[in-house]
Amino acid sequence: MKKSKRTFGKILMLLMIVFFYLPILYMIIFSFNDGKSLTSFTGFSLRWYRHMLESSDMMESLYITFAIALIATAISTVAGTIAAIGLSKSKKIVRDLMEQVDNLPMMNPEIVTAIGFMLLFITFKVEKGFMTMLLAHIAFCIPYVILSVMPKIKSLDPNLADAAMDLGATPWQALTKVIVPQITPGIVSGALIAFTMSVDDFIISYFVTGGGVKNLSIMVYTMSKRVNPSINAISTLVVVIITIVLLIINIAPVLAAKRETKAEISGRRKLVPLAVGAVALISILIFCNLGGSGLSRKYEGQTLHVYNWGEYTGENIISDFEEETGCTVLMENFDSNEQMYIKVANGESYDILVPSDYMIQRLIDEGYLQKLDYSSLDCMDNLCESVLNLPYDPENEYSVPYFWGAVGIVYDKTKVDLEDLEKEGFAIFLDEKYKGDIYLYDSERDSFMMALKSLGYSMNTESEKELEEAYHWLVQCVQTMEPEIVTDEIIDNMAQGRKALGLIYSGDAAYVMSENEDMGYYLPESGTNLWSDAMVIPQNAKNPELAHEFINFVSDYDGAYDNSSYVGYTSPNQEVMDELSGEGGDYEEINAYIPRSGYEKDEVFVYNEATRKIISNLWSKVKIAASNAS
Amino acid sequence: MKKFSQLAIPYVAWAVMMLILPMVLIALYSVTEPGNTIISFTLTLDHYVRFFTDPDFLIILWRSLWIAVKTTIICLLIGYPVAFFIARSQEKVQNILVLCITIPMWINMLVRTYAWIGLLSEGGLIQRIFSLFGYSGSELLYTEGAVLLGMVYNFLPFMILQINTSLCKMDHSLLDASADLGANPVQAFWRVTFPLSLPGVINGITLVFLPAVSSFYIPKLLGGGKYFLIGNMIENQFITVGEWNFGSAISMIMAVIMMLLMMTVRKVEIRNQGGKEE
Repeated sequence: MKKSKRTFGKILMLLMIVFFYLPILYMIIFSFNDGKSLTSFTGFSLRWYRHMLESSDMMESLYITFAIALIATAISTVAGTIAAIGLSKSKKIVRDLMEQVDNLPMMNPEIVTAIGFMLLFITFKVEKGFMTMLLAHIAFCIPYVILSVMPKIKSLDPNLADAAMDLGATPWQALTKVIVPQITPGIVSGALIAFTMSVDDFIISYFVTGGGVKNLSIMVYTMSKRVNPSINAISTLVVVIITIVLLIINIAPVLAAKRETKAEISGRRKLVPLAVGAVALISILIFCNLGGSGLSRKYEGQTLHVYNWGEYTGENIISDFEEETGCTVLMENFDSNEQMYIKVANGESYDILVPSDYMIQRLIDEGYLQKLDYSSLDCMDNLCESVLNLPYDPENEYSVPYFWGAVGIVYDKTKVDLEDLEKEGFAIFLDEKYKGDIYLYDSERDSFMMALKSLGYSMNTESEKELEEAYHWLVQCVQTMEPEIVTDEIIDNMAQGRKALGLIYSGDAAYVMSENEDMGYYLPESGTNLWSDAMVIPQNAKNPELAHEFINFVSDYDGAYDNSSYVGYTSPNQEVMDELSGEGGDYEEINAYIPRSGYEKDEVFVYNEATRKIISNLWSKVKIAASNAS
Repeated sequence: MKKFSQLAIPYVAWAVMMLILPMVLIALYSVTEPGNTIISFTLTLDHYVRFFTDPDFLIILWRSLWIAVKTTIICLLIGYPVAFFIARSQEKVQNILVLCITIPMWINMLVRTYAWIGLLSEGGLIQRIFSLFGYSGSELLYTEGAVLLGMVYNFLPFMILQINTSLCKMDHSLLDASADLGANPVQAFWRVTFPLSLPGVINGITLVFLPAVSSFYIPKLLGGGKYFLIGNMIENQFITVGEWNFGSAISMIMAVIMMLLMMTVRKVEIRNQGGKEE
């Protein structure tokens, strides 16, 4: 009986360990994968580590994570301890009240706390960035420190400090020589909790950050949509760092204990390794932050804030630009125009934005953009005419095209009959033959575009009746077809041939087709959305001069080639476009690369505030209907 | 002596600024029209009415609470026996096991959740293991099961550690005493061990339930764009839709619901302790 119990316990423990460590192990193994897949191991390579080390973004996020954690831990430990000592001597009513207040960040859902901080910073017009993130971290760490120090103080003899002072100690001496040593274990465990909470935090950091400052969590969250094994590499690095720190904290006391006399207070024994751990971390920080040469270039030491779509820049373009100008590029990513708009409208400052057509129109209308200075732009002549002087910015006074393309259907030629596509167009997304085998794209505009086009309406319709019909079209789709609603995940999933059909941007389709020969791309005869994304400079840009420099660099042959060949979207640079789609180019014979031009049913989005609101609300209802249908 | 109480003053000021004011702002936003400023605003309850009159929103609220309940129950069912066996093992083994469970908590939550994507996706390890047993079922990733798994994986350590702490604090002579008085091991467990571990259980439930209700990155990473929870709804309102007033109202609703639930749980705890003392 007892023995069987023990075996049961052992098996249970074993399963637990497997459960906890399997994903971590899997991640470590696949960080050495030669291929890009997360499911099949094709060979050993250090390629993703190289990628990680070259990506200033990733190293930066590591630096920020640990810098914030260390500073926040130090400050909140000191402040929390002082506050706890003070509170313990305060009147009971103050103490009880503050206990309730301290509970707020612990008893509230984290997202509520996060939104509270965000509203606070915005209301008082504090510019979001490193400082706001640090303040928020300190704010949610202090209560944990107080919580773990308080019981130790309560267990002290309340007359201890008085006794010390009667014997001639100053209050400061009483505090540092008598009280603090007694409560050291509480302070140490408070500091550890604070550090853990801060390193691990995502939700609060996500809402209070700005200006391109991201910690590790935010980086993983924004990058996780496309398979990117460098995430595995950086995660492995974190596992190694944390393990080393933990080993130091846990083993050093044992070693220290051998040397020290037994009379030593246990608290001090814990302090030594903690200090060693902190020193180790700080040296890692310094290592992460190394770099930067001594050359003096024109923009040495300046920064350029770029707010762009995720995975939308070439492999080397940012580092090349930094190399040439000596500046630092801070890149922040968005995954929808709306997300970008909200930040810009709330006064966050960027030097370059890359919004889409209709959003540029909105930004111009609302006065958020500044006119380009043509005297410092030398790139306009290289650009393809079809993507210039479009209705959203008729004279290109504000914008220089970045990428352009159409929205079409990517399909698996082995599963989908081309005849079905030709006959049904976008309505193939309602054809139950392909039930459970389709991807929708999580973009309110393009989903409504698809529905409206399929119904034979203009995608810029202002008629509520037509929008209502389109809404029912989409609801029918999500209720009968079991679609997956994805964003960039569609790229890797279609490249792997996981589903038969998907709504896709032409550039993503070009990439998918270059990876998988079975994939085709179809533009329905009902017409589609001809979009373009362009670089603009906001009114509150801090460095417009450097921004112009960046626009030139990106539009130039080398920059545009790097961008377009790596990302797969059509370059507005005529020469690059011809070369990539021509003989021997990366996208030879891939019809998705060159957008259809001159087809009368194709349209460009126009901005209209009233329809935007309707569409935005209806689309969240479609998504809710989709989640309630499953 | 009283001088020390002045040490609390800066913190009280800080707490008013950083802890109370944000909540006041959310409450304020939730009852005002969009586009108002601090100085001039009109009060309205529209946002609350909108939430409670739309069945779709209520379904999502219900689903978020339900999945959090499921997560909590699973964590309790797995976590209790694990904590129990850890507490029963030798002290050296105990320390190692506790460390084993703590280490993953130090590794970033997002990173650990991301790791599951590869394991669960088509052709991934889990599906291959399943097909070995002849089960070649449908997709694993982007399902409710995946979200549930992600939550259990992320929050289970909290439950184990809390219960383990309270089990370790227990006085073992009580078990001997109950055996001497004729209780069999099962009775001893339910009459002695379990009630004594209850504070840990309740702390564990709080620590699992609270983040599970409001999590939005686990459903987003493992549930795909289709699996919507209340956390995603709030994120959506603030990050992409831009209706902050409505988003604040949803946040308030969630905060109040959680506050009430936590108060109930604490009441149960207090009553239990009271019972023991009698």
